[in-house]
Amino acid sequence: MLQTADVNDQIHAQLVKAGVHLAATLPDDWLNGLIRRVARDDGMRHIPVGREAEAIAICAGAFFGGARSVAIIGNTGLLTCTGEMATLCLRHAIPVFCVVSERGSIDDHMIYQEVQGRRTIPLLQAYDFPYRIIDSVDEIETIPDAYEWHRLQKRPFVLFLTKKLLRLKKS
Amino acid sequence: MKTNAAMKVLAAHRGDAVVVCALGTAANEWWAVTRSEDSFYMHGAMGFAASFALGLAVSIPETPVWVLNSDGSLCMNLGCLLTEAGQQPKNLKHFVVDNQCYRTVSNMPMVNQNGADYAAIARAAGIDRTMTVDDAEELDRKMPEINAAPGPYFVRLRVEAEPEYRRPPPFSYEGPEMKYRFGRALEKKLGIKVFGPTGF
Repeated sequence: MLQTADVNDQIHAQLVKAGVHLAATLPDDWLNGLIRRVARDDGMRHIPVGREAEAIAICAGAFFGGARSVAIIGNTGLLTCTGEMATLCLRHAIPVFCVVSERGSIDDHMIYQEVQGRRTIPLLQAYDFPYRIIDSVDEIETIPDAYEWHRLQKRPFVLFLTKKLLRLKKS
Repeated sequence: MKTNAAMKVLAAHRGDAVVVCALGTAANEWWAVTRSEDSFYMHGAMGFAASFALGLAVSIPETPVWVLNSDGSLCMNLGCLLTEAGQQPKNLKHFVVDNQCYRTVSNMPMVNQNGADYAAIARAAGIDRTMTVDDAEELDRKMPEINAAPGPYFVRLRVEAEPEYRRPPPFSYEGPEMKYRFGRALEKKLGIKVFGPTGF
């Protein structure tokens, strides 16, 4: 296992504290520990998907069922579904909380993450999707506040988890 | 079977089902027949009405949820069938209007027009209960069985392409207003809280 369970336990605990009990997920190397943690929670409905935009739409639908949800996806997947985030969530003002690996960061040297690292933030800014980068364990406890804030913003919100936070080995 | 006739049959058998419509033909025809405000009409994210409906269905497991999908939308996200099968939501029924064309864009032909059996695809994805219906009277006869059976249930509505198609009247509300009308309708109907105490 690449990362300690402790950080994932803390992120999961803060999601629960925020009232989240539905998680739609698609694996990414950095997030597999968190996804496994969510999957072990009997109180959390776990919906593995085949494409990230499904996770966005599932969370949007869950909103109308009164459920608090999270989409846990990789940065590459985030780029694949910005169209759906815009035409569904911006169009209808539906909040969706996304937890996303900050792939392509300065300490991520995987060649196929290059473009994501350079263009993801400008793309989010172009769509006016708010985001926050969590880089230290101390910041994990801000997740419930971030969750409330994203509902107020009525649009997709991206919470990036950094490599440093997830305590991954150098790639 | 014409799409409008199929929608009239579905409307007659709807009961308490909450309905999610894919944008285009399904949404337009359902609105034309029902004017229902406790239905959600997608204005975008083509291909993802079924995913939206799945998220809704698992959140209100005691309430029947229908998704009125279309062949064009389904083909943009066939993977939704795998996700649906993986979750096995007992309260979800998945109808697909299969008219073999993109009707709202001048009847341009569907990819692999007439060559795909969506019910067979759904079965192969892991949805055991599927049906293809091409006649309104038959649909009317089958609906009690479809309603009574546990989900997921996939129903392919094989309808005519209708080259003389006339666009139904437009929705009288859209975007954020649809969110609030739909959400408030579900709060009232189901006794749930969609919005917080200050409205968001």
